[in-house]
Amino acid sequence: MKQLNEVIKEVAAQSLSRGEVDLVIGWKKGDLWWQSYPAFVEGDEGVADLIWDPFCVPNLSRYLLEELDDKSKVAIFVKGCDALGFNQLLQDKRVEREKVYLYGIPCDGLVDPRKLEAAGHKWLSEVRRDGDELVLVSKEGEQRVKARDFMYDKCLTCRYPNPVTYDQMLGEAVEAQPQERFAGVEELEKISDDERFEYWARQFSRCIRCFACRNVCPACSCRECIFDIPEPRWLGKAKELSEDQFYHIIRAYHVAGRCVDCGECTRVCPVDLPLQELNRKFIKDINELYGEYDAGVDPETEAPLVTYNTNDPAAFTES
Amino acid sequence: MSVSAEEQAFEPLIIVFGCNWCSYAGGDLAGTSRMSYPPNVRVIRVPCSSRVSPNFVLRAFQRGADGVLVAGCHPGDCHYVTGNYYARRRLSALRRFLEFIGIEPERFEVHWISGSEGAKFAKVMGEVTEKIRALGPNRKMRDVR
Ligand code: SF4
Ligand code: SF4
Repeated sequence: MKQLNEVIKEVAAQSLSRGEVDLVIGWKKGDLWWQSYPAFVEGDEGVADLIWDPFCVPNLSRYLLEELDDKSKVAIFVKGCDALGFNQLLQDKRVEREKVYLYGIPCDGLVDPRKLEAAGHKWLSEVRRDGDELVLVSKEGEQRVKARDFMYDKCLTCRYPNPVTYDQMLGEAVEAQPQERFAGVEELEKISDDERFEYWARQFSRCIRCFACRNVCPACSCRECIFDIPEPRWLGKAKELSEDQFYHIIRAYHVAGRCVDCGECTRVCPVDLPLQELNRKFIKDINELYGEYDAGVDPETEAPLVTYNTNDPAAFTES
Repeated sequence: MSVSAEEQAFEPLIIVFGCNWCSYAGGDLAGTSRMSYPPNVRVIRVPCSSRVSPNFVLRAFQRGADGVLVAGCHPGDCHYVTGNYYARRRLSALRRFLEFIGIEPERFEVHWISGSEGAKFAKVMGEVTEKIRALGPNRKMRDVR
């Protein structure tokens, strides 16, 4: 079987040369071995740059929002979590399905460079996936390690490694091996209100409000964002705890019931805020109160907070 | 433990978002029936409990509220038919989340009070005020500037 790395170049070249799409969004290598960046390929020149490697973590579907403004059809590569994000954009009516061609990539987990670094694997030239192992290439030669030890936390809890939607699937389906995803939330639920307050106050106070977590999110796709509008100015500019709380509560609330749990927000945060625990708190509560719901799996369903049942329970005393 | 002067003199500030069609009318009825409820309560009239965005709730806490209450029509009695069904889901999710951030859940309550329930309006306001008085001032989400 051909390597996926070759297949993606072939399919991209084909659809561009046949004029089926105006643009292919994929990944290309960055300057360093642990960087794989989004690539925007419009003609033959860029095709050779396209890659698939253990660092292709950026979700590409959000780029459709801008690219589709002036293009009639765009092809993108989607991993499992990217496909969920794409479906969320569909459900929120932010992209038109006919204008997108999806190449599905079954994903067996991507590598967190910081886990490699923490284990002393710093000066590498390449990292390859080989079955359950990673091949770490450096000047000294090759070394094999267990892939799961170095995967992103979000990949360890991934339940949909195979894209739930696609036009063409590239590669063989992989088996999901998800760890329990609510363990972190449950730990926090156990401690007292005051301890939780201290914990989150400490976390929130580190936020530099760069908004990367909002900008990367496939569920945060409003044309006009409440955090940007000057009138009324809901979010002030001051570095003050209550402003940080406002940002984080409202960000998480806005995606409640629509967050696909892709973990992109947590990955891009420059100060490592555990944002996924916030999103997952909403997911867990909504599941408990209003029934299990997996955002992004079926764009035809209604998100749980935009619908109701007349006999719904409440998390307050109804009298 | 000694009680500070501030705590001794503590009078909680309760912000109530009252739905125009039921709870606000319930408050009016309490007034015209000469039923008293604590002056700690400040009512802000909204068209429907589902109009209450979490932004309002957080802003109230930031600007000095010790407790926030949303009061709307009983489920099934919404003037707009379904508004309070949406509110029930959304405010439930919000209440649990505030608790997760460390805010005592008693500080954010939701009650269904109809236009004919003047006595209930007065009773709920009294109970909420006493609960918050016992909890003490909210210092966890206050804009200290
Ligand atoms: S909130 Fe975070 S985990 Fe949820 S969809 Fe957005 S980026 Fe993904
Ligand atoms: S990415 Fe991190 S630092 Fe930036 S706004 Fe989000 S939480 Fe704050």
